[in-house]
Amino acid sequence: MDYAIEPRPAGTQSQGVEPGYAHTANRWPSRPLARRPHTAAELSGPAGLLRRLAPVRGDLAGYGDRRAIGQLIHVRARVVDEDGTPVPGALVEVWHCNAAGKYIHPNDSNDAPADPNFYGAARMVAGDSGLVELRTIKPGAYPVPDSGGWWRPPHIHFSVWGRVWLSRLVTQMFFQDEPLNEHDAILNAIREPEARSRCIARLAPTAKGPADALVYEYQLVVRGRKAAPRL
Amino acid sequence: MKKLIPTGEMTLGPFFPREFAQGANDLTAVDGKRAKGEAIEISGRVTQVDGKALDNVVLEIWQADADGRYDSPDFFGWGRAATDADGVFHFKTIKPGRSAGRAAHINVLILYSGLMRQLQTALFFEDSDDPVLSAVEKSQRSLLLAKKTGPHAYRFDIRLRGEGETPFFGD
Repeated sequence: MDYAIEPRPAGTQSQGVEPGYAHTANRWPSRPLARRPHTAAELSGPAGLLRRLAPVRGDLAGYGDRRAIGQLIHVRARVVDEDGTPVPGALVEVWHCNAAGKYIHPNDSNDAPADPNFYGAARMVAGDSGLVELRTIKPGAYPVPDSGGWWRPPHIHFSVWGRVWLSRLVTQMFFQDEPLNEHDAILNAIREPEARSRCIARLAPTAKGPADALVYEYQLVVRGRKAAPRL
Repeated sequence: MKKLIPTGEMTLGPFFPREFAQGANDLTAVDGKRAKGEAIEISGRVTQVDGKALDNVVLEIWQADADGRYDSPDFFGWGRAATDADGVFHFKTIKPGRSAGRAAHINVLILYSGLMRQLQTALFFEDSDDPVLSAVEKSQRSLLLAKKTGPHAYRFDIRLRGEGETPFFGD
């Protein structure tokens, strides 16, 4: 079989069924995933996704004077491939809850206050160096309903497209030194400690960033490489 | 050069912004122009182990145009839909043509709360000699065939786990 894109080491990816997260046993397939050859269908992908998805501004920290409540942060997220080569033009979607742990979503039943100046979703395009910059407030922690005391640590959801169909990546970015990280069923479904630590953004020296925000750096590695043969 | 390990995937969670999943499920036109080929509708229902229909499941598709091309200037082969409260999704698209070595098909990926990683599958229009369809056990292949429900309509149900479980592809 022809695998143009190498399989990922199992320990670096989430377990399908995770005992600490009840829904996984209702939804993850019981049969082993089949291995398929990679053909043009898997090794091509949509270029110029903004033809179908409209951009949504990358500043979630408020509207002018109407500032969202919370610690102002500036996330520098870089999209690179397995060679470390930047993926310019990569589309990146982010969403997260407000500083009190409440999402702007009708399904969020958490009894925490909404923030009228916080809109928790953005869609951005990476620049030439694969960089997207997100200005926002640090999300809060929140309890997972009916979970027996599981609290999600502060995190930001990322949805990323790379060069081809198989590059698609949906993940969550965590924050350094959060005590809840150690107990989170989603972060810890990645068994390899090094792979887990790569999901945690690092606080960067403030001299590099805007004076009014804490700067966090984060890297998203998508599957595939620039040099990969296109069939 | 040291190879980097791809970032670990994690679940979409229950709070994917609704507006992100809206307005992207019609592939029959792009930039205001109608694509050539047979316009079809594909719908289906997504269920979990106990048969319960799932709300707000995100499905993304990638396909060739009517001539089997993935780089067509007049067709944009990517779309996204979300299921409603009855677990039902809809796409409008152009029936893809055969591409080199492949039968007509549509790649499908599924993102949802409780799915720790994306699930990848593929929709076929008929049982055919295809290297990806052949990667699935023979007894399971019919589960990847869309059912024709009208002159230009197909149904493709997805069972994540349990009886009639959809075959999915790994790395």
